[in-house]
Amino acid sequence: MKRPKAIVLRGTATNCDIETANSFRYTGAEPELVHINQLLAGEKKVLDYDLMAFPGGFSYGDDISAGKIYAVKMAKLAKDFERFIKDRRPVIGICNGFQILVKTGFLPENRGNAQVATLYTNDCGHFLAKWIKLKVNPKSPCIFTKGLPAEIELPMAHGEGKFIMEDKARLAALVKSELHALTYVENPNGSMLDIAGITNAAGTCFGLMPHPERNFFPWQNPDRPAARAAEAAGFQFFRNAVEYVR
Amino acid sequence: MKDKLANFNSLPKKELEALDRAAGWSLNLTELSEVQRQFRKMGRQPARGELETIAQTWSEHCKHKTFSGPVIFRAGAKVKRYKNLFKETIVKATRSLNRKWCLSVFTDNAGIVEFGKTGKWGLAFKAETHNHPCAVEPYGGAETGVGGVIRDILGVGLGAKPVLNTDTFCFGRLDTKKRLPKNALAPGRVMRGVVEGVRDYGNRIGIPTAAGGLYFDDGYLLNPLVYVGCAGLIPVDKIGKRVIPGDLIVSIGGRTGRDGIHGATFSSANIDEETTASAVQIGHAVNEKKALDVLMRARDLGLYNAVTDCGAGGFSSAIGELGSETGARVRLDKALLKDTRIEPWEIWVSESQERMILSVPKAKLRRLAAILDAENCEYCVLGEFPGDGRLLVTHGEERIVDLPMAFLHGGVPNFEKPAEARKVKISCKPPAAPKGGYAKVLADLLAHPNVCSRHSVITQYDHEVQGGTVGKPLQGRYGDGPGDAAVIWPQAATLDLKDFSGFAVAHGFAPAVGRIDPYQMALHSIDEAVRNLLCSGADISRTAILDNFCAASPRDPRVMGDLVLAAEGCYDGAMAYGAPFISGKDSFYNQSRDADGKEYPIPISLLISATAPVEDVRRSVTMNFKEPGNPVFLAGVSLRGMGGAVYGEIIACANNAVAPLDMKAAVKLYSAIARAMRSGCVVAAHDVSQGGLAVTLAEMAFSGGLGAELDLTGASREDGLTPVELLFGESPARLVLEVDKSRETEFLRLVKGLPVAEIGRVNEEPELSVHDGGEALFSSDIGALKASWKKELI
Repeated sequence: MKRPKAIVLRGTATNCDIETANSFRYTGAEPELVHINQLLAGEKKVLDYDLMAFPGGFSYGDDISAGKIYAVKMAKLAKDFERFIKDRRPVIGICNGFQILVKTGFLPENRGNAQVATLYTNDCGHFLAKWIKLKVNPKSPCIFTKGLPAEIELPMAHGEGKFIMEDKARLAALVKSELHALTYVENPNGSMLDIAGITNAAGTCFGLMPHPERNFFPWQNPDRPAARAAEAAGFQFFRNAVEYVR
Repeated sequence: MKDKLANFNSLPKKELEALDRAAGWSLNLTELSEVQRQFRKMGRQPARGELETIAQTWSEHCKHKTFSGPVIFRAGAKVKRYKNLFKETIVKATRSLNRKWCLSVFTDNAGIVEFGKTGKWGLAFKAETHNHPCAVEPYGGAETGVGGVIRDILGVGLGAKPVLNTDTFCFGRLDTKKRLPKNALAPGRVMRGVVEGVRDYGNRIGIPTAAGGLYFDDGYLLNPLVYVGCAGLIPVDKIGKRVIPGDLIVSIGGRTGRDGIHGATFSSANIDEETTASAVQIGHAVNEKKALDVLMRARDLGLYNAVTDCGAGGFSSAIGELGSETGARVRLDKALLKDTRIEPWEIWVSESQERMILSVPKAKLRRLAAILDAENCEYCVLGEFPGDGRLLVTHGEERIVDLPMAFLHGGVPNFEKPAEARKVKISCKPPAAPKGGYAKVLADLLAHPNVCSRHSVITQYDHEVQGGTVGKPLQGRYGDGPGDAAVIWPQAATLDLKDFSGFAVAHGFAPAVGRIDPYQMALHSIDEAVRNLLCSGADISRTAILDNFCAASPRDPRVMGDLVLAAEGCYDGAMAYGAPFISGKDSFYNQSRDADGKEYPIPISLLISATAPVEDVRRSVTMNFKEPGNPVFLAGVSLRGMGGAVYGEIIACANNAVAPLDMKAAVKLYSAIARAMRSGCVVAAHDVSQGGLAVTLAEMAFSGGLGAELDLTGASREDGLTPVELLFGESPARLVLEVDKSRETEFLRLVKGLPVAEIGRVNEEPELSVHDGGEALFSSDIGALKASWKKELI
């Protein structure tokens, strides 16, 4: 069977790149870690790949604000990324990756360099790492969350995860189109409408604050009976993406 | 100071000492006179940079002269002499055990043991302390402590990939009534700073912080202890390193600045009102992550012959260590600086963070530079390793240091330190039943700062980055039960998703026992660490341990006596458990004066960090009750004595006898339980430690959301044991197990003839009730117990 090529983007202090690549490889893709410097130098080209991931971490120390410096570095390549998303090639941004996709403007509306939402400091004022319950929106066009049960568990680990969209009309449109693919059962950070993850209208570009790659194998669960399950919730996100491009 | 330096060789003793104080070298008179003698022999005065280099190289921090020096120990009429205390206890145990899975011990920046079944990997493990910096600048001190121990792992062999950070902190009581000196920080302020420092550094660099502990005692009011540890994976063919004459000296990572001048010598000084924060470095995690990413790629491409970290002493000790056989030519004017106003000798000894020194063959520099540039990691070529054994450091035309390496690394004089056993009055008076009843005591114990939930600290650390934290610090049905050990599956290092080999890390720490009996403290700590590993399902027959001693001033013979006794305990414990020490560190002078001039020495504090392999991480065990109807067992013998127990901090209790560890019995018991764990019939295991048996049972119950009806009548015990000792005593070598009800017979066969007693069953009812010998001891609602326990410490 064809092994789709996945580009796992990294830069300074992109910390979750290896386990994200591992998750793609395990679900049948051929991942490649690519530094943003390699794209900027023209050594590698975004459009040579079938899938794209922005992993979690603290890119460039999250200086200025989370994901901002990485987003600025991507500005010169906006056309390539826009094309990739328009082609409906799957893109996932996890945690810091979600922050990058929002701060570039690729989420929710695929407008490179035109940010319309943000992820701000948690209401508690600091980094928070714990397992949380999430509601999966069955009506969402998101290809990554297809086939998941109504409620899943994933770990979160972030300091800036409070989803904010000031433009009420835009937010209403987002909800109307069911782009809020994941919401928190108990809001841990103050996000508007309990939003944990959003997709674009095509359902192929998706960002979320919690970490599916950390509940990818059942034994990653803190509760041992759950660890004996055949499959973990995070696995489905990656398999969906790989099957979509096959 | 200039005049004095110019006449150094002829300075009288008084002036020498004054000069030492003014310069902040922390050398004693014997050492200063030796330096004079050496330079007189060379027929010239020393340069400032040379004296600085000697002070760094000979510092307690770098040379560990107290622990590896001669000691004369007196206990009553008994006298024992040691030529090298460290070698005759800690190292001796490792040498005698001679385990073939120990790949590197005591020689490098960390100890290395075999990892997994493939024969391809080693596990490097190291812990150290950053106490003095955290006392004056908690946030920066903790950050650079974490950064420093990570660099030890990056600088072991040709570099290991860090996969786990650990941290254990000791602070004064948050509700202390003691008066502080003007410059001392309140314990709450120190704790917040330290936790935030660990959080901001560890999280940013992408290493899970998943094991450790928190301990509150007013003995640490003026001298907090901050133990930081790191474990990493290294390919076995990258363990050796060797500088080849002609190699270039390349510094990568951070720049050099004026932060952290005299950190190494400062750690040998008592903290007083004149102490300032300028000896503390400023951390920048992202620079260290760049160096990490570069090193992992360059290592696998074979682009350098040796590497070490810049820690205490900065360039002077890193280049000094790497060039100890070859010598070194260093041009300090080539260093990348944070601040150009820096003096040349300051560049040489600055402890600015995030710098690694590489020994690079000239022909490979270009390829290394390409990787450094690709990762935006700064570097500079400082000089080369010539092969003539001479250390020559220059700045432009100026000579900063010109010495034979042999003088630096061999010259330090040492003298015998007196040690004596402390006299502690022991009371064996049986503890009376507490007035408010056992249920009330249990609730109070659960709320005690040394027992209660650590979730408000743990959740600030990213304990799951790299996707390999299988045994979590918070576990169980609600993800908030207190785990005994971290179990790590290093998928981000091995990239092998079909190999389920992992390792567990746990700790043992018992300073309250140490106040009464330092020898038993060491045994209890080793036992607790091994027992915690056992609870996670690790293969404890292959336990490796680290010793981290913290003590007050070694000039006090009683402090040295504590050290001798604890070191002897380490030897006996390591031998009995077959667990070699693979690395360790010590920190002295943890002693300060309060506003009234009263001395505050810390109690002798020994952190034992332990690691053991986990054959299949998928089958590792957690601590919460799993299923109603499952039988519950208490393993081990409950002994008399309330010495060191948390109970004594809640209820006045004259009894301070420490229950002695029966090592032989413990080893026999554990190996049988390990077999049962491997067979899969044990579904939950939790050790009995702080707070005693009642706390263990309560934690297992509320973390699983299940109750239990228990009767301790059949539990093994010493004659005359009171209910208080049974429920709240902290005698070692005990654990509670929940067994799969369908496999009870199999379990009983495996533990036949051992002190393992069935004490009841797990229950759907949310009630924990405990009987003993026909008496109802207590019955508590598990929700209420959890509410007492789940406090916000921060």
